[in-house]
Amino acid sequence: MSENGINHKFAFYLGCIAPNRYPGVESASIKAMKKLGVELVPLKGASCCPAPGAFGSIDLAVFYAMAARNLVLAEQMKMDIALVCNGCYKSIWEVNHKLKHNKDLRDAVNEVLKEVDMEYKGTINVYHTAELLYNDKFIGVDKIRDSVTNPLTGARIAVHYGCHLVKPHKDREFEKEVMLNTECPTWMEELVAAIGATPVEYRNKMMCCGAGGGVRGYDIVHALDITNEKLINLMEEKVDALTDICPFCQLQFDRGQIEIQEKFGKTYNLPVLHFAELLGLAQGMSPQELGLDLHGISCEPLLQKVL
Amino acid sequence: MARTKGYPEALEKKLSEQRFFREDSNPEFTKNVKAISRTIAHMCYQCGTCTGSCPSAPRSSYRIRKFMRRAVLGLENEALTDPDLWLCTTCYSCSDRCPRDIIPTDVIMSMRNLAFKRDIVPVNFLKTVQAIYSSGHGVPNNDVNRAAREKLGLTRDPPTTHMYPEYMPGIRKIIDHYKLKAEADRIVKEREG
Repeated sequence: MSENGINHKFAFYLGCIAPNRYPGVESASIKAMKKLGVELVPLKGASCCPAPGAFGSIDLAVFYAMAARNLVLAEQMKMDIALVCNGCYKSIWEVNHKLKHNKDLRDAVNEVLKEVDMEYKGTINVYHTAELLYNDKFIGVDKIRDSVTNPLTGARIAVHYGCHLVKPHKDREFEKEVMLNTECPTWMEELVAAIGATPVEYRNKMMCCGAGGGVRGYDIVHALDITNEKLINLMEEKVDALTDICPFCQLQFDRGQIEIQEKFGKTYNLPVLHFAELLGLAQGMSPQELGLDLHGISCEPLLQKVL
Repeated sequence: MARTKGYPEALEKKLSEQRFFREDSNPEFTKNVKAISRTIAHMCYQCGTCTGSCPSAPRSSYRIRKFMRRAVLGLENEALTDPDLWLCTTCYSCSDRCPRDIIPTDVIMSMRNLAFKRDIVPVNFLKTVQAIYSSGHGVPNNDVNRAAREKLGLTRDPPTTHMYPEYMPGIRKIIDHYKLKAEADRIVKEREG
């Protein structure tokens, strides 16, 4: 262990929705990861990843170049990237992977980056914080369990894995092989159990939140109908909260419940928390410190059970 | 008598003539889809696992299998003018389960890219481009969130392009290289006046 108990340092790529809609995810990640020996250093001047669905649908060539710019910023810091959002993972990890393995794409991107005095070299790796938490090379389940001061005992918590961290699994290269299972993975449930809560399985767990691919902007009712189906499946299991590892999914489930109420007249009041927020709670951070009051759906019912 | 491996020449010729059998099919479209998607759409044997895995299928007329067929047959107009093209949430469930190891989601993405080149694109996609061009973020910060960030002990603006706007000219240069902002502005103006 090195100084101050910090074993690993990463350039913290924020994306858009975490810092600009759920800032508690940002602060909780920084604090919780620090307690686990991982320092997240700001990645100055980063932009939108850019949004794989909305931006990638328009022109993939520009999408590659824009994502490469973010990668180069981290290359200049000589640090691997850590991020908290599945959408960002799809852009940043996947473009990094594609550019490393396809010379034609790399050359095309570098031709454009030359205009802004940048060059993509392919010298860094990209990780999702959920991956860092699960992989004992960085943190691991045992270390998380040891960091818990306020176990979330009695809380029934279901996991929404989301899509773009793990799918398509044929292209992914996780060190932990269980993360390549996209039909019925349970590694996130292990994390939920590590913070003292009871992980709950539900029907069609791996289904999409409905927001991706620009569909939330294109046809909000269609997107919400997918979300609504997931919420029905979740309520069948009487869960106290849903945890996610993607602020965009969180937005769709959290603010989406308000929209579902307006459009479909259905009320669920299911608290939706990013795993970083849950971990923060279990490590003794206060709800105010985590910005839980910024959520569209009140987290009170869950908090009453675990605090 | 033992049969030769592969098709006899005459049969091969006959098949290649029949490969694109509709008046409106465009072999270039098949090639363009393959080049942009970097996946092997032409290997699709229409089993339908993709549509069966699709969260959008049960609640709309969107059928990913149909788009796969259009890719193979070069049915460009039919594919690009179908509004269902924009109902894919890009969840990659179809890609995870495809027994031919095709990535149908990326076929959809390539078709959307090709549709954009013909000005066929929903406005919300263009607005994301405009937002990123102006602030670097698809979902930008606002005053309520700035106050909330301050309470959490964070900087009012995140240490991204929001806090360091000096990075914006580089971003705009990249987008302008492809003339993407100008195109987005033009199409939005045509639609919304």
